[in-house]
Amino acid sequence: MDLNYSSEDRAFRDQTRRWLEANVPTEDMKTLAERKAWHRKLYEAGYVGMLWPKEYGGWGATAMQQAIVQDEMARIQAPPAINGLGIGFIGPTIIVHGTEAQKQRYLKKMLTAEEIWCQLYSEPNAGSDLAGLKTRAEDAGDHFLVNGQKIWTSSGPIADWGILLARTDPKVAKHKGISCVLLNMRQPGVEVRPLKQITGHSLFSEVFMTNARADKSDLIGNLNEGWAIAQTTLGFERGGNSLGRVTRYAIAFNQLVKATKQLKRQGRPLIEDPVIRAKMGKLFAELEVQRYAGLRVLSALNKSDSPGAASSITKLSYTEFEKRYYETALEILGPWGQMMTAREEFEEIDTASGEAGTWATAFLWARAGTIYSGSSEIQKNIIGERVLGLPKEVRADRLKA
Amino acid sequence: MDFSFTPDQTLLKNSAHAFLEEHCKSAVVRLWWDDPRGESEGLWKEMAQLGWLGLSLPEEHGGSGLGMVETALLLEELGRAAYPGPYWPTMLVADAIAEAGTDVQKKRWLPAIATGEARATMTLLDADLDWSPDAIATRGEKTPTGWQLSGVKRYVAWGHVAGVLLIPARTPEGVSLFLVDPAAAGLRWSPMMNMDPGTRLADLTLDRVPVRAEDALGAPGSAAPRLARLIRRGAVGAAAEMLGAARRCLDMAVGYAKVREQFGQPIGSFQAIRHKCSEMLLETENSHSAVYYAAWAQDADAEDADLAASVAKVYVGDASRKVCGEAIQVHGGIGFTWEYDLHMYFKRAKALEAQYGDADYHRELIVRRAAR
Repeated sequence: MDLNYSSEDRAFRDQTRRWLEANVPTEDMKTLAERKAWHRKLYEAGYVGMLWPKEYGGWGATAMQQAIVQDEMARIQAPPAINGLGIGFIGPTIIVHGTEAQKQRYLKKMLTAEEIWCQLYSEPNAGSDLAGLKTRAEDAGDHFLVNGQKIWTSSGPIADWGILLARTDPKVAKHKGISCVLLNMRQPGVEVRPLKQITGHSLFSEVFMTNARADKSDLIGNLNEGWAIAQTTLGFERGGNSLGRVTRYAIAFNQLVKATKQLKRQGRPLIEDPVIRAKMGKLFAELEVQRYAGLRVLSALNKSDSPGAASSITKLSYTEFEKRYYETALEILGPWGQMMTAREEFEEIDTASGEAGTWATAFLWARAGTIYSGSSEIQKNIIGERVLGLPKEVRADRLKA
Repeated sequence: MDFSFTPDQTLLKNSAHAFLEEHCKSAVVRLWWDDPRGESEGLWKEMAQLGWLGLSLPEEHGGSGLGMVETALLLEELGRAAYPGPYWPTMLVADAIAEAGTDVQKKRWLPAIATGEARATMTLLDADLDWSPDAIATRGEKTPTGWQLSGVKRYVAWGHVAGVLLIPARTPEGVSLFLVDPAAAGLRWSPMMNMDPGTRLADLTLDRVPVRAEDALGAPGSAAPRLARLIRRGAVGAAAEMLGAARRCLDMAVGYAKVREQFGQPIGSFQAIRHKCSEMLLETENSHSAVYYAAWAQDADAEDADLAASVAKVYVGDASRKVCGEAIQVHGGIGFTWEYDLHMYFKRAKALEAQYGDADYHRELIVRRAAR
C-alpha cells in the first residue's frame, strides 16, 4: 500500500498544469465552433483520447495520467473536451467490436470532434428495461431501414452520428433479437427534437427515425448480438474520472465555505453556527471518502483493464453522494442557494462535470446522475446479482420466455 | 499509487482471520461476556505469541516495528470477531510510551506489553466529557517526591485488568501525562454495564493519587499533541474495528438472504432485500477506503493524516451502524434475538462510535481544517 504519486506522475502533473495555465481560454466560449477548436487543441496536446491505442489516434497513456489530466482541468476550471460519449464509450466499443474499415472511417474524426456522436439506446417504453426496445432495423439488402423513437439523447441536436440499438429479429427472446449499428444523424429520416430539462436547459432530446437508412457495413459485431455489445458500452461508461469529479466537489466546498462566511443569520456568519458546522463536517467527510474511493478505483484500473461489475458500486456511490451533497449545501445556503443566473446554453452535457452554473443548477443536475447510464436501482440489481451473488429475481418477462 | 495490500499484509490478515475463527468464536465471546473479568488471559497470551501485542512496537523493545496499516488489518479482524478486551487501549498506551517515554519507562513497559505480561489503558474524558486535550481539568500538583492527581475520569475502558494507566492532568506547566499504578492509593473505580458487554467501562475518581516524579511521561506541559496523536490513532483503529463488525454483518445478511425463503423464493431475490444488501456493500467498501487511507496516512505522516483519521471515524461510525442495523432488518425476528450473533457486532460497532472522539468532536475537527 502506497498512496503517494510516483515521481513520473508528479512530473506529468506539473507539465499538465503548466500547459493548461498557458493555454486555457480566458473568455467564455459561446459557440460550438469555439468548443471544437479548444477540443482540437486539447487533443493535439495529448489530453484527449489518452487511453486509446496509438494506432487509432490515441495516446496510449495510463489511467493514472488520464485521471491527473482530468484532475488538473477541474482544478483550473478549464472547459472540458467535447464528444464525451463518443470518446468515452462509443469509440472504445468500436475499438473492441468494430471492423478495421469502421475503425479507419470513424475513430480519428471522433477523437478530433470533427464528428460529434450520440447514443441511441433509451426509448419511451424501454428505460431500465432497455432490452424491451421497439425501434426496428429491417433488412433492405445492403442497408437497414430504421423506424422508431429514441429519447433522453444527450447531444442529439449537435450529433453527426449515433450508435443505435434496434430490433432486428422480433421473433426471438428480447435480448437475442437486438443489433448494434451506427446511424448517420444527418439524413432526412432522422428528426431531433430538443427536450427541456428541469434545469431549464435543452441539452437532451427525442430522436424520431422514419425509414432512416443505416448501411450494413456500419453493423457493429454480428447481427442480433447487439445486447452483449451494449453491455460493454455501459461497462466503459461506469467508473473512471475519479479524481476530476472529486476536485470539482472540493472546489464547490470551498465556495460553500466562502458563502457561509458571507451569509449571516441572526447577525452572525453561518459558519459560526454549530449546527451548520456539524453539517459541513459530515459533508466534507463524505467528500473525502469519495476521494479515497476514487484513488482505490484508480489503483485497480492501473492493474487491470476492466473494473467490471464493481464499477456499479462507484457509480452508485458518487451519484447518490452528489445528491446528498447539494441537498445539504442548499439547506445551508437557504434562498440564496436557489438563485439562478442567466447564462449561455452549452451544446453538450459532459456527464462527468455536469452543467456549469449556479448552486441551484448543481442541485437540480444532481438528480440526473442517479438516473442516467443505469439508474441507482439498476446498479443495485447488478451489485446484488454479480458482486454479492444473490439469486435473480423472478420476473414476469422471464417467466414468459 | 497502490491501494492494495502487500503479500505480507494479506498473510497477516488471513492468519489473523483463521486464528480468530478458531479461538474467538462467538460462543466463546459469549462466555467472556458473562465473566466478571470480561476477557481471556489465555487468548491474551496467545496474541502475544502471535506477535500481535508488539506489532507496531520498536524491534529493540520486543516488537515487530510494523505500521498502522498492519494494525488496522488486525483490528478489522478483531472487530469481525467482536473480540472483547483491552487490545487497542494497550497498543495506544504502548505507542505513547514508545514515542515519549524515557529509556527506563520503555524498558519497564514495552517488553512487558509485547510479551503479554501487562495490559494498559488510558483516560481520555474528564467530568465535562470534552474530547479536546485542552479541556483536561484533572489537577496534577507537585509534591516533594513527584505529583498528586485529583479529579474525575469518565468511561475508562478496561481499567480493571490494566497494569498501568495513562492519565492526563493539568499541572502548572499545562496538560501533562502520567503513568499511574492502578493499585495506587486514592483511586476509586465505579464499574458500569455497557449495552455491549464486550466493552467494559468504569468511572474513576482520583483523590490525591501519588505519582512518582519519574512516572511523568514526556516533559510536563507537553501532553496536548501526544493526546491528539493518541486520539487520532485511536480513531483510525476504532474505525478499523467497526469496519470488521460491518463486514461480518454484511456477510451474515447476504448469506441469510440466499437461503431464507418466503413466498416460495429466497428473500435475496426480492429487490427490497437485494438493494438493501447492495447499499450495505457500498457502505462497507467506502469504509474500507476510509480506514486504509487513514491508516496509510498515519504511517506516511501524510499532510492530511489528522483529517483522514477524523474522516474515517465519522464516516465508518455512521456506515457501520447502518450496515449492522440493516443486517438485523434483513434477518427479521431472528436478528432481534439474543441467541443469534448479529447483535454482538451491532453493539460492538455502536460502542466504538462513542470512543476516541465521537462524531461531533471529529466533525468539528474536520470543519476547522476544511473551512480555514
